[in-house]
Amino acid sequence: MSRKVLTLVVVLAVAMVALIACQEDNTAAMEALQRENATMESEMAAMEARMAEMESMTAEMMEGGRLETVKARGNLICAGNNSLAGFGAADAAGNVGGFDIDLCRAVAVAVLGDANALEIRPTTAAERGPTMQSGEVDIMSRNTTWTSSRNAQWGNFAPTMFYDGQGFMVPTSLGVNTLAELEGAKICVQQGTTTELNVQDFDNQNNMNLEFVISADNIATNAAYLAGNCDALTTDRSGLVSTRAELDNPADHVILPGTISEEPLGPVVPHGDEQWYDLVSAVMGILIYAEAYGITQSNVPTAVTGDSAVDRLFGLEGDYGQEDMGLSKTAAQDIIRAVGNYGEIYDRHLTPLGLAREGSRNALWSAAPCTDCPKGGQVYTAPLR
Amino acid sequence: MATVPRLLTYQDIPVWRHILIIQWTAQIVSGVVVVALVIWFFTNIGNAIQDRDIPYGFSFLSREYQTPIGEHFIPYESSDTFLYAFGVAITNTLIVAVAGVILATLLGIVIGVARLSGNWLVSKLATVYIEFFRNVPLLVQLLFWFFIILALPPVREGYVIGGMLYVNNGGISLPWPHVSGYAAALTWVALAVVAVVIGVALNKWLSYRETTTGKPSYPLIIGIAAPLLLGAIAWLVLSFATGDSPFFISTPEPQGRFGRIVGGFTARTGLLVMLLGLVIYTASFIAEIVRAGIQSVGRGQTEAARALGLSPMNTLRRVVFPQALRVIIPPLISQCLNLTKNSSLAGAVGYSDLTSVALTMTQTAPAVSIFMLIMGAYLAMSLTWSLIGNLYNRRLQFGGRR
Amino acid sequence: MAAQTVPPPAPAPIPDPVLPPRSEVGVTGWLHANLFSAWYNTVLTLVFGLIILLALGFGLNWVFNTAEWTVVVELGGRFIIGQYNTEAACPGQNCFWRPQVALLLVMALLGMAWGMSGNRVARVMALVSAGGTAALALLPYSMETMGLDVRLLLVANLPALALGWALARYTSLGTGARIAMLGVAVFLITLLLLRGLPGVPGLRPVSVIYWGGLMLNLVLAVGGITLSLPIGIALALGRRSSLPVVKVLCVTFIEVFRGVPLITLLFMSQVLVPLAFPENFPLNSLLRAGIVITLFSAAYMAENIRGGLQALHSGQEEAARALGLPGWETTLLISLPQAIRNVIPAIVGQFIGLFKDTSLVYIIGMLDIVEIGRVFVQGNAEYRANAKEVFVFVALVFWVFTYGMSYISQRIEEHLGVGRR
Ligand SMILES: N[C@@H](CCC(=O)N[C@@H](CS)C(=O)NCC(=O)O)C(=O)O
Repeated sequence: MSRKVLTLVVVLAVAMVALIACQEDNTAAMEALQRENATMESEMAAMEARMAEMESMTAEMMEGGRLETVKARGNLICAGNNSLAGFGAADAAGNVGGFDIDLCRAVAVAVLGDANALEIRPTTAAERGPTMQSGEVDIMSRNTTWTSSRNAQWGNFAPTMFYDGQGFMVPTSLGVNTLAELEGAKICVQQGTTTELNVQDFDNQNNMNLEFVISADNIATNAAYLAGNCDALTTDRSGLVSTRAELDNPADHVILPGTISEEPLGPVVPHGDEQWYDLVSAVMGILIYAEAYGITQSNVPTAVTGDSAVDRLFGLEGDYGQEDMGLSKTAAQDIIRAVGNYGEIYDRHLTPLGLAREGSRNALWSAAPCTDCPKGGQVYTAPLR
Repeated sequence: MATVPRLLTYQDIPVWRHILIIQWTAQIVSGVVVVALVIWFFTNIGNAIQDRDIPYGFSFLSREYQTPIGEHFIPYESSDTFLYAFGVAITNTLIVAVAGVILATLLGIVIGVARLSGNWLVSKLATVYIEFFRNVPLLVQLLFWFFIILALPPVREGYVIGGMLYVNNGGISLPWPHVSGYAAALTWVALAVVAVVIGVALNKWLSYRETTTGKPSYPLIIGIAAPLLLGAIAWLVLSFATGDSPFFISTPEPQGRFGRIVGGFTARTGLLVMLLGLVIYTASFIAEIVRAGIQSVGRGQTEAARALGLSPMNTLRRVVFPQALRVIIPPLISQCLNLTKNSSLAGAVGYSDLTSVALTMTQTAPAVSIFMLIMGAYLAMSLTWSLIGNLYNRRLQFGGRR
Repeated sequence: MAAQTVPPPAPAPIPDPVLPPRSEVGVTGWLHANLFSAWYNTVLTLVFGLIILLALGFGLNWVFNTAEWTVVVELGGRFIIGQYNTEAACPGQNCFWRPQVALLLVMALLGMAWGMSGNRVARVMALVSAGGTAALALLPYSMETMGLDVRLLLVANLPALALGWALARYTSLGTGARIAMLGVAVFLITLLLLRGLPGVPGLRPVSVIYWGGLMLNLVLAVGGITLSLPIGIALALGRRSSLPVVKVLCVTFIEVFRGVPLITLLFMSQVLVPLAFPENFPLNSLLRAGIVITLFSAAYMAENIRGGLQALHSGQEEAARALGLPGWETTLLISLPQAIRNVIPAIVGQFIGLFKDTSLVYIIGMLDIVEIGRVFVQGNAEYRANAKEVFVFVALVFWVFTYGMSYISQRIEEHLGVGRR
């Protein structure tokens, strides 16, 4: 009897470990990869001379294929923010959503056909670099500034999703109106951000004699600012607007005019896989293009409309390279139906915060096909064709 | 004739079953497997680093760090190098660790003794303290204290005590001695060394006198007071002679439109929370260690000491405690080690300790290399604590086991 | 005294019992002995009495008047299961029943432990746990927030307990070894339930990133505790081994894991370890965190057990050898049981430490009971001022578990008669 129980337990244990461990059943993909490797190896033996070349190719084969990995896994792992309202935040029920998160949802639709086939991994600002380098996330969409060194160290930045700059917020009661008046102030800033670096430059260049209160995440930073532990809070202006909108008394805080840096915020994908990078860029393009052509969640075309650009975008005529990127022909239809176009995403998450779009840098460059009547914004993408 | 059963001899056992052979094969196999695993692990990491263009190497250490550090006890400019910034961060960790260990030990001893107190109220209170604080995760306690400190009034509305002591949610500011200059600093260090030497010598001599003659000579009090007094006199003489004192006392004062406090010494929010949390938490463990130590000394010792007419206080100090120390020190050292490691939670409450600064560094420097540095730094600290423990054990052995 | 006035009764004069003075018996006596025995004791009593009164007054005032407990009410179930039942984790399904069924199994197990041992501690524990969880069904949440199914499953904890008790009493399952094995099985089934099975309707896989709340702390703690003890024992034996290679390996392992803070190890497990494995290697973040916590704890455990082994009299081992027990049996049957028995408090202390350490998984982005509260308070402006309430509540939850553990360990010690030799 007890021996039987023991056997049962052991069997269960083995089964469990396998189950818990397996992110998803991916033997098929692995096998395919192995087969590929095997053929390659025989070739290699045959062509001693091209050994070195082949080796680098093997490396690429092993490293690439994130698309396959995601498909095999069945969900997209997206590093996101869970405490910045509008961009990425957990709602009262615990679901994480926002402007940045919707990009991940769009990618999930494009690759897996399901906006919910998504795993949001919350990361604080300082953890972003190591997290990207670990290769464990497929994409990071988390109000992250595109800089050259990050591009070199963390991963590749896909097109910018939101153009921003760094500002300061102070309690109205301090009576501070300009940046220059901040001399001698204590500034709350978050660790591991570009804003931390910029504010140091700002201090050095203008002899501001600032003192810094540095916290590990948004939660601690905001708590310190609200408690009056520092005189001003600095971060991306959008972050300030979002933080301010969430306050009990937004009117008691004012965002100072004046921007001390350039902060283009966009998604990052891991180094070493160009196809994946192209795919994410194209998804961003689809969102922007759909808006430019006036296609919203509710009027996604399913039959030829006669407008070639629209038909091409929605897979009704010609193509824009879907096959090479690993997208389905009609991926755009699914994406727009599931998450809406860029403008809809913006309106859903950022407009309620009070981040006006009209006339800002985040308006479209132009509504298509009207290229000579610009709207003046910077939101723009490579033509999808 | 009885047949003597044939005894098993070495010759009967096949060579491969020889104990030494078995043992060494097992050892070599396990050693090789482990080493191979480790090599495999690091080779893979190395490969991944190459394939994914992940930066590595240590050349960044001589680059400028260019990032602010929230709190620093040695001078720091954003133009300093990564290496120096690393040093600043280690200093920050060492400061909470050392201050925390000292305070936690004192508090722990008090509470441990209180737990054994004959006073019901006091001993129950100590029990409640211990049972509560050691059973709640340190992180929760730190977060709690963080929000408690933040609930204090901000600087401009903070409490000012006697015009000298500023208490607000930015921290506690108090008057603090500062050295006046480089030459003065050297004088000061020299003075301090001389004073310590004198103090130690006095203490040794007086204790010797006390044990040999039995006359109460107050070695501890005099050993501490004399150098302080000497120092004060020397300071007065020096400042009169040179018109320049080796150090001056700066008092904190609010300055500018934001009322930021300059001068004196400010234990900022992060440091305060860390000390509060670490000391209260660790003291609850030390108290138990102290209690166990005291209880390990036989009752007979106390009774004999009392019978000889020693006061309860003296019994504790001169008879029980010295013996309890043997039992107390080893686990106490491991608590010191724990405290040092636990200081790595500082990031959560905004104190710039080693871990938190190192994490920030990953933004502009190779993460892999930084992790190695952190590992190395903490291992060094732990080994130092172990070394202290071992030295103490060695000394005990010389003193002879009871 | 009365005896003085009456002439002593005949044969032998019995010496008068000297009654203690009135000041040493009864309430006054107790007060005198324990609170006012000397002037300094009186002072201490008064001072601390005052402090306690003030603290109590302040604390009670805070608890009942100042504190806003609605935040705790609002967080409710999320404290327990985190994001497990959110739309993202479990789209289009109600997954709440899965942790609940696991809880039922645990209750049955507790019932069995009680039924088998029949001792008071087990009974109290079983009844308190089952009663407590069943009582949760009566929480005055609206039916929308807490459905009937959820409530019924909670109440079912009582019959589950009874069933377990009966099973232990009336079937052959009621032996320690079998219950232990069932315990392992229940743990594995729990993991299976929580993780789900691909392709099985109703058991849609839930990514471990969504495991959260107290559930996450408990899963990590239970797994860590069961594994860290054997690993720790192995390491301790290895460290005391006379074989140099084994010894060096064990010492290195122990010192490295003891020398580095757990959060650094956890962080590295998330960002460095994945680099060493192929991209799709089945080693998810929870598993990695669990392994790190277990190994960290095992290193400490090894030192505790080594302490116990060192304190053993060498005579024990020599006697066993003299009786002809082979080396490993001596260790396993003679040395280890005694060593472990001697260091039970340290071992349980380490278990408690491990349980508390599970709160550090916040560093890898998992929302355990602490982090879920912190994120919630920040994300909801109306509760932003109530962080203290959240942490006090969380502290209490931890305390209940950890204090329970140390209580049980004390009872076990008493049972084994440690220190009564
Ligand atoms: N854009 C900046 C700052 C990004 C950033 O982390 N911002 C903060 C404040 S707006 C944040 O989102 N923190 C959330 C968290 O770490 O929990 C960067 O890329 O470094």
